[in-house]
Amino acid sequence: MTKCDSYDAIVVGAGHNGLTTACYLAKAGLKTLVIEKNEQIGGAAVSTELYDGWIYSNCSYVCSLLRQEIIRDLELPRFGLQVVPFRGGVNLDGKGNYIGAYPDHYVMRREIARHSPIDVDAYDRYYQLVMRQCRFIRPFLLRPAPDPTSMKPRDIGELIYLVKRMYDIGPREVGEMIRFWTMSIGDFLDEFFESEFVKAKFAGSGIIGTGLGVYSPGTAYVLLHHYMGDVDGSLGAWGFARGAMGAISKALGAALEEAGGEIRTDAGLGEFVIRNGKVTGVALENGDEYRAPIVASNMDVKRTILHHVGRDKLPGDYVKAVERFKIRGSSGKLNIALDAMPRFPDLPENGEIFQGDFACNTSLEMLERAYDDWKEGYWSSGPYFDMLIPTKIDPTLAPPGKHMMSVFVQYAPYDLNVGGVRSPNNWTDEKRDAFAECVFDRLSLVCPDIRERVLHAEVRSPADIEREVGLTEGNIFQGELTFDQLLFNRPAPGYAQYNTPIEGLYIVGSSTHPGGGVMAAPGANAAREILRKLGKTTAMPTVADDEF
Amino acid sequence: MAQSEKRYDVIVIGAGHNGLVSAATLAKLGKRVCVLEKENEIGGMARNYEIADGLQAPRIAHLLYNYNPVVARELGLAEKIDKAPISTIALSDDGRHIEIANGALRYADGAEHPDAAAYAEIRRKIEKFGKLLAPLALRSPPDLSEGLSLAGAGEAAAIAKLGLELKMFGKKDMREFLRIVLSNIYDLALDEMPDGEVAGLLAADAVWGAWAGPRSPGTVFLLMYRYAYGADPSLPKRGAGAVVDAIVDVARSRGVEIRTGAAVSRLNIKNDAVTGVVLEGGSEISAKVVMSSLGAFPSMKMAGPQHYDVETVRRLRNVRAKGMTAKVNLVLRQEPKIGGVSLAQIAGRFVIAPSAKYVERAFSKAKYGEFPGAPVIEFVMPMVSDAAQRGRYLLSAIVQYIPYHLKGGWDDAARDRLTALTIDTLSQYIPELRENIAHVDALSPAFIERETGAPGGHWHHGELSTDQLLTVRPVNGMSRYAFGVRGYYLCGAGAHPGGGVSGAAGRNSALQLLKDGVLS
Ligand SMILES: Cc1cc2nc3c(=O)[nH]c(=O)nc-3n(C[C@H](O)[C@H](O)[C@H](O)COP(=O)(O)OP(=O)(O)OC[C@H]3O[C@@H](n4cnc5c(N)ncnc54)[C@H](O)[C@@H]3O)c2cc1C
Ligand SMILES: Cc1cc2nc3c(=O)[nH]c(=O)nc-3n(C[C@H](O)[C@H](O)[C@H](O)COP(=O)(O)OP(=O)(O)OC[C@H]3O[C@@H](n4cnc5c(N)ncnc54)[C@H](O)[C@@H]3O)c2cc1C
Repeated sequence: MTKCDSYDAIVVGAGHNGLTTACYLAKAGLKTLVIEKNEQIGGAAVSTELYDGWIYSNCSYVCSLLRQEIIRDLELPRFGLQVVPFRGGVNLDGKGNYIGAYPDHYVMRREIARHSPIDVDAYDRYYQLVMRQCRFIRPFLLRPAPDPTSMKPRDIGELIYLVKRMYDIGPREVGEMIRFWTMSIGDFLDEFFESEFVKAKFAGSGIIGTGLGVYSPGTAYVLLHHYMGDVDGSLGAWGFARGAMGAISKALGAALEEAGGEIRTDAGLGEFVIRNGKVTGVALENGDEYRAPIVASNMDVKRTILHHVGRDKLPGDYVKAVERFKIRGSSGKLNIALDAMPRFPDLPENGEIFQGDFACNTSLEMLERAYDDWKEGYWSSGPYFDMLIPTKIDPTLAPPGKHMMSVFVQYAPYDLNVGGVRSPNNWTDEKRDAFAECVFDRLSLVCPDIRERVLHAEVRSPADIEREVGLTEGNIFQGELTFDQLLFNRPAPGYAQYNTPIEGLYIVGSSTHPGGGVMAAPGANAAREILRKLGKTTAMPTVADDEF
Repeated sequence: MAQSEKRYDVIVIGAGHNGLVSAATLAKLGKRVCVLEKENEIGGMARNYEIADGLQAPRIAHLLYNYNPVVARELGLAEKIDKAPISTIALSDDGRHIEIANGALRYADGAEHPDAAAYAEIRRKIEKFGKLLAPLALRSPPDLSEGLSLAGAGEAAAIAKLGLELKMFGKKDMREFLRIVLSNIYDLALDEMPDGEVAGLLAADAVWGAWAGPRSPGTVFLLMYRYAYGADPSLPKRGAGAVVDAIVDVARSRGVEIRTGAAVSRLNIKNDAVTGVVLEGGSEISAKVVMSSLGAFPSMKMAGPQHYDVETVRRLRNVRAKGMTAKVNLVLRQEPKIGGVSLAQIAGRFVIAPSAKYVERAFSKAKYGEFPGAPVIEFVMPMVSDAAQRGRYLLSAIVQYIPYHLKGGWDDAARDRLTALTIDTLSQYIPELRENIAHVDALSPAFIERETGAPGGHWHHGELSTDQLLTVRPVNGMSRYAFGVRGYYLCGAGAHPGGGVSGAAGRNSALQLLKDGVLS
């Protein structure tokens, strides 16, 4: 028999954003249900067992963007969330050189001096500029993006807030901001540094998750997107969630349940139930139906609208806008169980350097060439990777003495090109293995014995990521972070405040402002919009304010 | 000390069209102006030259894209220049070319094209948005630091007016503008049509002169800049050089003195104010104001870095100007024949960019300093209708992407490769071209830099990208033409609003210096 229960609000998808929205709604007293198609909650932030005794993060693997305001509002530490900051990080060139990353600014200066004395001062200037821009942008993450075409007092108020902040930072900095927000990360770094290797070290953050190259304008902003987070208030720092990224989702889930919310897993959405332009509930794949006047979708905008609403129920312009929303898969991931720590002959023994991420970026040109392969539909022959050995930070993730490796790889196309035909179906097992070999070749440059250490390796193409998490094309941000898809353009002009043309239907995932990453800001902002509509203004999430 | 010559109010360095427009604008108000040009010819990148005896050819620039009607009207050029928009033929590999004439797109054989409506809509949008932005090109960029001062109020009003006009568009177009203004032409075109000649043409028109491929964000803005006064370029009788000649006439009639073969080596500066210039031979000329039509960095070197603070020098050094465009002029013995093109169509503009991917691939090679496998080419045959040329024909081609920073450098062999690559590519559409060639001039970006002084041989003297536009052109803090030292001004393509044969930079800088009161 099929069930049919009523709720005040239903959230579709238990990604961290959906859970965040649900938490705020439940805390405001709404009877809230979350439905999730997978058996675990968390979406792209899940910890599971990879191999007997090895716990790993399925997709996202490091934490920094998660907003402090939300951690405090929802009291996540009380539900087990603990973020341990990186102590290191390193970029190797595979020829014996490395450049370490250290949290201590003076140690970092010394490290850069080994490669270029001139770049030491450049680093100070670079760092200060990036941090100033981060401070500028941070408050906007937890505010709605104003609609510049609107005359509503709230939109005008938000625009005035923006102008006021620009006025406050001064004309010189506004000029720098225009430049920084629109430049390519390659050009930006070229302005500061002389050493190719130093530039290559910093460039990675400008391309992670995008379908752009280091010389595409707009990638400096992507770097900002990766720097604007913090770990316990330490700006730009990255950290590692104890128990892997699923710990964040688990904490959110526990907070939700304490607030009276319900979560139903293995409950995939069939379609939204819509009557006369209004959402009235959801129908699951298994035939169950739930009713609610408010439905929030954590799925990306394309999936939500094109797969589960139906074009006939929507204005043509809106459908068109959603169709052209760019959501390009560009990255894959390898999760590897290791029987022992691989050797890194070029690195000092036992350094703190191992408690951070590893890359093998030799030059900006190498990174740009990796992008060129992808444009043509191939994975990069010399890929960029961001690798982490989480067991160096949290040894409980694997049996004693054993290790775990997470390798984020870019670029890998969603629609792989085989003989001129581009399709996600081209990702056969054989192709996936060939892709993995290419990544192992690259890894071998920095840890030559990696292949002998592997007990088990899971290889994921963008097509696999789409299949598991539902991220369209495997795009990690639920949509490219280019200006035409940011702020009031995200996900569609005129619908950037979490609303859709369907009354009561909201979009609360990373497709919305301020975008992807395990940040929870879209989820919180969306909850604010929903609660405002309901007149529950006292229960709304904290609005971030000036911080300088 | 060498003898100081007669004293001028203003010296303009460089007789490119912008320098000439500055001079003519100031002379109209009775200022004594002298233009100094290092070459023996006047006109810079926009001049004509004698390519073979008696045969005139456009040296570098050949078409007018964003020729500014306001500047032309102010100078009284309009009557002097015989110009009308020309049609464009986008060449296709299969011989079924596409023609755009009078704003409509169809196959060159007259048949309807499936993407005509999509093209028309993109063109309408870009022209409309370009027109919205056009007034910005005719004023100094807003100075953010003026804040709420009286001078700042004017700026605020200008911005407010722009905002108002944007609102008048109605929500739909306003939103569309804000969505696409910083985006890339590749997606804009391919969202509406399959990849092919039409998308290729839009891509090519967006990237001429730029160190950017169609996939690079910012290329839609470049298309707006180019289409601001209409999407179809025009080919004046006797080429872009005719524009220069007309400006020279006006300038001279107003008493402007133009000296050729007079290369400026540095500025004379006393007490942080300009007093004149020193020529390469050592002679000095004094003036209250010096305007430079060179790029920002060479202009700074001319004054001497000691006059600028460290941060400014750093910014100026970082101005990106990596030229990607070469010029190849061919003299032909007979009228060339292009399959699938009628006699009437041959007077148009031809573009070789069979798809947006083709354009991107050419860029993908050149960005590493390599020759593209197949370059993007725009060519015109300006003299085909001109019987006076005694049976000789001219083919003027802009070839992109040809990197300034070529691996191995620009030696004779590299220039020969440029020639060969151009001829090979053209020959695919003009079968008997090779046997028909009487003479070739291939100008690499490095050569263009040497000849005109434009940094990197760059079309705009400095990349026209969002981070080098408006308030941050040429660099943050120096956007209003005044260039660091009292009495020193920029007036060329490197300044706001950028290059192309438009004259806007020359005009604006002259008006700004009058407003600044440095001549009183
Ligand atoms: C390989 C990879 C690595 C990454 N690395 C990092 C990182 O290190 N740090 C970082 O901050 N970010 C990282 N990210 C980005 C980050 O993980 C995502 O942007 C973020 O987790 C998205 O969260 P979300 O809640 O918006 O959406 P999602 O996590 O995508 O949640 C959507 C949810 O909806 C569910 N769903 C889909 N369809 C249905 C349906 N029909 N019915 C019911 N439920 C459905 C999905 O199962 C999923 O749980 C990474 C992403 C990937 C893919
Ligand atoms: C290959 C190519 C093709 C182009 N095609 C077109 C086109 O078809 N249509 C179009 O609209 N635009 C085109 N452009 C762009 C356009 O030509 C330029 O933007 C414009 O002509 C620049 O004018 P200007 O007056 O600012 O500078 P320039 O024309 O560069 O003038 C600078 C002048 O300064 C002189 N000079 C340099 N150093 C000194 C010195 N030390 N002392 C004295 N004088 C000096 C130079 O000799 C030169 O005459 C093209 C550019 C290139 C590179």
